[in-house]
This record gives sequence, C-alpha cells and structure tokens, in this order.
Amino acid sequence: MLVLIDLRMVNKIIGQEHILKDVNLSVYKGEFLSIIGPSGSGKSSLLYIVGLLDRPSSGEILIEEKTIDFSDQKRLSEVRNKKFGFVFQFHYLINELTLTENVMVPLLKAGIPIRKARERALSLLEMVGLKGKESRKPYQISGGEQQRVSIARALSNNPDLIIADEPTGNLDSKNTQIVMDMFKELNKEGKTIVMVTHEMDLANQTNRIISMRDGRVVSV
Amino acid sequence: MTHTVFITLKFILERKRQTVVSILGVSIGVAAFIVMASLMNGFQKYFIEQAIDLNAHITIKVKPEANPSKIGKKYFGDDVLLNVYGLKPPDKRDKISNYRFIISNYSKDPQFLGLAPHLVGQGIIRFSTIERSATIIGIDPNLERKASVIDKFIVNKRLNSLVTDRNSIIIGKLLAKDLGIEEHNKKVLIVFPNGVVEVFKVVDFFNSGITTLDQTRVYMNIRTYQAILGRPNEVNEIIVKLKDVNQAQKLSIAIERETGYYAESWQKAYKNFLQLFKIQNYITYMIVFAVLVVSAFGIFNIIMMIVMEKKKDIAILMAMGYERGDIVKIFTLQGLINGLVGAFLGSLVGYSIQEWLVSLNLDVEGLVRAKGFILDRSLVYYIYGVLFAFLFSLLASFYPSYRASKLNPVDIFRSG
Ligand SMILES: Nc1ncnc2c1ncn2[C@@H]1O[C@H](COP(=O)(O)OP(=O)(O)O)[C@@H](O)[C@H]1O
Ligand SMILES: [Mg+2]
Repeated sequence: MLVLIDLRMVNKIIGQEHILKDVNLSVYKGEFLSIIGPSGSGKSSLLYIVGLLDRPSSGEILIEEKTIDFSDQKRLSEVRNKKFGFVFQFHYLINELTLTENVMVPLLKAGIPIRKARERALSLLEMVGLKGKESRKPYQISGGEQQRVSIARALSNNPDLIIADEPTGNLDSKNTQIVMDMFKELNKEGKTIVMVTHEMDLANQTNRIISMRDGRVVSV
Repeated sequence: MTHTVFITLKFILERKRQTVVSILGVSIGVAAFIVMASLMNGFQKYFIEQAIDLNAHITIKVKPEANPSKIGKKYFGDDVLLNVYGLKPPDKRDKISNYRFIISNYSKDPQFLGLAPHLVGQGIIRFSTIERSATIIGIDPNLERKASVIDKFIVNKRLNSLVTDRNSIIIGKLLAKDLGIEEHNKKVLIVFPNGVVEVFKVVDFFNSGITTLDQTRVYMNIRTYQAILGRPNEVNEIIVKLKDVNQAQKLSIAIERETGYYAESWQKAYKNFLQLFKIQNYITYMIVFAVLVVSAFGIFNIIMMIVMEKKKDIAILMAMGYERGDIVKIFTLQGLINGLVGAFLGSLVGYSIQEWLVSLNLDVEGLVRAKGFILDRSLVYYIYGVLFAFLFSLLASFYPSYRASKLNPVDIFRSG
C-alpha cells in the first residue's frame, strides 16, 4: 500500500513537557485510521503535526515521500488548503458567514471564483443533508448540523486526507452515527481519514486502530 | 485577493455596531477638520484680502521717529543696555518732498499698477453735540482709484463728489453711526489740529468691514486738506498698488533704497496679525489632530477587540490554509474600509455644515464685520481629510492585524 504520510522519530517538547516521544507512524492512502488513547496522551498533539499545523521538536515528516520543510510557511498553507480537510470537536464555523459562505472559505483561498465556489458549496451542503438551510448562520442550526457543515467545508477542495479530532465528541449518539456513516462513505469513495476518538466502538468501525499512552504509540 | 476581501466585507457588514462606531469616529474627525480648516482659512484669507485692498500693497511714508533703544545701539553697538528719555520728535517736517517725481517714476514700471498721494492727519469730527476723533486722509480721487480699490468700499459710489464739491467728505460707516448720521448730505464740523474749524458735507460712507477703519476714517479732497493745514502741495504718504501682491516685500525694500523713504509692505503692516494667524493655525490643527487621533484609537480598539473575539476564526482560517499575510490583509482592510467610508461620510457632513454655516445670516462684529461666516471651501481640505483618515486608519489597524497574524492556531485549538 502507498504511504500518504510518514512520521519518523517525531518528538514534541513544550517547555518541560515531553508530549510526543519517538513517534513513528505511517498513514496509508485510502485507509480509515483511528487513534485512541486516554485524555492527555498526546492524540491531538500528534494530529496537529500530521496536519502541518505544528512543527515537531525533532524527527521528520514525509508527504508522498517528500520531506516537509517547516520553514516554508507558504507551502504548508497550500498543503493544508488543497490536500487536507480539518474537522474538530468544536465546529469552528465563522458566525458572520452563512453556511454556504463558510464552506466557500477554503475554496476562495484556493483561487476559485466566487460563483463557482458558491455552486460547489451548495452541492456539498446538499450532500451532507443541509439543503434548504444554506443561507442560515451557524448559530441557527443544531450541533449535529454544525458538524456536518464543517465536514462539508473540510471536503470543499476535494482533499486527499481528512483529519478529524474527536469529531463526534460533542454529539449525541444519533448524530455521532450520522457523522461516522459519512466518514465511512467518504472513505469508500477513496478519501484517507485519520480520526482521533476515545470511544472504542467508533474506533472499531475503522480500518485500523493505533493507541497512544503518555505520548507514545503503544500498539499499531 | 478575493478571499480576504470577501471575509473582510462580511465582518464589516455583519458586525454593524462596531462598524458604525468606527465609521462615526472617523467621520466626526474628518468633518471637524474640513469645517475648522475652511472656517479658519476663510476668515484669514478674507482678512488678508481686505487688509491688502485697504492698506495698499506698499505704503511709502516719512521715516518713523527714532526708537530710543535704537539710538543706544547706533552709538554704542548691539550689546548696550541703554535707554534714552525725553526724546523729542525730529524737526524734519512730515512730508515727502519729491512725491511727484516718485509717482511718475514708478508709474512707468509695469510692476506698479498705480500710485496715489495721501495727506494723513488727525482731527475731531462733530455732529450736533457728538464728537469723535478721526483719521483724516486727503486723497486725489482719480489717482486713488488706480492705486486702491476704494470704490469697492464706498457705499453709494460717490467718490467723484470729492472732486466736484471741494467741501464734501466721505466718512466711515461706523463713525457715521457713532455720530448718529443715518443719511448723506448731513453737515458736520471738523476741528483741525491747527485750530481751523470747517463745515463739511457728508456725501457718502466708507464700509470696508474692518471695524477699526470704519470707525475712524474720513476722506476728503487732498487740495482742500492741504489748504486748510496751510501745507500746499505737501503729501506725507504714497500708496502703491502692485501687479503681484506677493512682490510687496521685495519691492518695498527696493523703494526704500531708491527713495530714502520708509516703505512698508502689507506683510510688514500686518505682521502681528500674520503671526497671530500662524498661532491660530497651530492650535486649530492640533485640536483637529487630536480629534483624528481619538478616532484612530477608536479603530484601533475595535479591530483589537475583533481580533481578540475572533481568535478561533483566525485559527480555523489558518488551518484551512490562510497565510499570515491573509490575516493581516483581512483586518487591515477592515480598518481601512471603515476609515475611508468614515472619511467619505465626514466629507459629506463637513460639506453640509459648510452649507449651513454660509446660509446663516449673522451679524459678525469683531476684527472684521461680515454677514455670516466666511469660508474657504477649497477641495484641498477634503483631500487632506480623506488622506489623514486613510493614513490614520492604516496605522491604527495594522498593529492589531499584525498581532492577529502572529497567533498560533494550535494554541487556540488546545485552549478549546
Ligand atoms: N501548550 C502546552 N504546554 C505544555 N503542555 C501541554 C501544552 N499543550 C498540551 N500539553 C500537554 O500535552 C499532553 C498532550 O495533550 P493532547 O495532545 O491535547 O492530548 P489528548 O488530545 O490526547 O487529550 C497533555 O499532557 C497536555 O497537558
Ligand atoms: Mg485532544
């Protein structure tokens, strides 16, 4: 299987805290990987590094076999914009924008003209089941719907990888299952997904589980 | 570019209260600037124009009496502390002896539009029981016309009466008012310093708008005046009208050198006022600057507040691939747009206030008399106002924007 992202001997130290310790991890193209572990074990920290939001204190990261240069901010931004889609526990939608406009935000950055961006945003919203609510503001819809908007936004530039940090952490079981079904469907369509969760039964629905403890990957 | 402008516009339109506050701040500043500048410069320009018109561009006079402190310096050098008491006026007679030559000589020079002789003295004017002291100016009406704009200030345009009727006079409008004269052709008495008392007919009024002049001036035919004072063919002042008023300083120096008489340019005559205006300008611009600084602080505060409130939005924008430069653009542009809209509104408000001020029909009485405010409604003040607003809002929004761009998205995601 082809490796999409490769972490080699990654360490993260903040002040006195050794948050990630000698992490080696390969994310394969097309897999749905879940990362589990107790709170504070370093799952989010690992995800930030995978998502190129944070730089490791030591170690190396390769995307499609190319080493990432963390001093090239422009390149990092471009990768995040075009190749990655982020979904967090909190939706982080922008309240001043309608749902459509929220989904348009990454598209506009990618240089897609407004009209086209709007069309694409509308079809993505329809896909996540929000047809008819496109011109609402984030605070006018439920938590489950908000998370679906942020999935639509993550998908806007048709990324290779979806990075999700406890995407169902704030949802009831019904909405949790809706989001999980969406991820599974996207995975079936070929998207690579890395998802952090601390619920074993969600992890069990994915292709592969790794578990973390005290900043170390303890089982692959 | 579209992406940053798009988000900026949304922030501006969706956060109406903050937008309105910052726009209002700027528009007040800009309107204040435009109105203050046009009022102040309008008054000053009017005053200077009137002053130049009235007092001649250059006045050639007999040298002023010696100044006591100068005498000390003349004999003992600059460092001497010496005062001279009991100085008597010089014996030299108060006259310009070769005035005909001076007038005809300079009249040939195209830089000079006209020269006219004056005989100036004091007197007391009496109407029934009321007396006022007056400055009496003997003029040759035909030459006077060429060397000044006296016609402009003569209410009923009867300057020629001074030629046809040698015993007629034109007096200041306020002087007439003080004496209780309301219509022309009233007879008044003038008491001259040499004891002569004569009856004159007031044929017209002189209304310049400069209070001190309108309260004291009396014009009469120079020949009549010379005859009364027993000084035939004598003049003690020549007024000069120039093609270019800005040459007055230079030409006055040349005249002094060439004639040996004292030549005073209008700038020198109004030195005190011109200096006063400078101070007035400083003060006004300082106040307006303060107003603009306050409105810039308004923008600064609001952008800073928005940045603090929007940390999470900034973090997610960065996660989605927005660069630090994009973040700077989003918030700086927000400040700039607020500033420019404010400047535009402020210009409109300033324009309306100007309209309102000129429509007022007030009797302003002071250094000058005018109906309503005199405004200098130059476009320059609008341009400056907009430019200042632009610069200030750029400065005010840059720092918060820069701070925003330095936020670390991971820190924000970690804090929840
Ligand atoms: N800015 C920080 N400074 C110091 N320690 C931190 C900081 N951020 C996170 N940590 C620590 O790093 C560890 C891993 O945190 P995190 O990656 O959020 O774990 P998880 O997502 O698995 O709950 C925790 O022990 C946490 O206290
Ligand atoms: Mg976490």
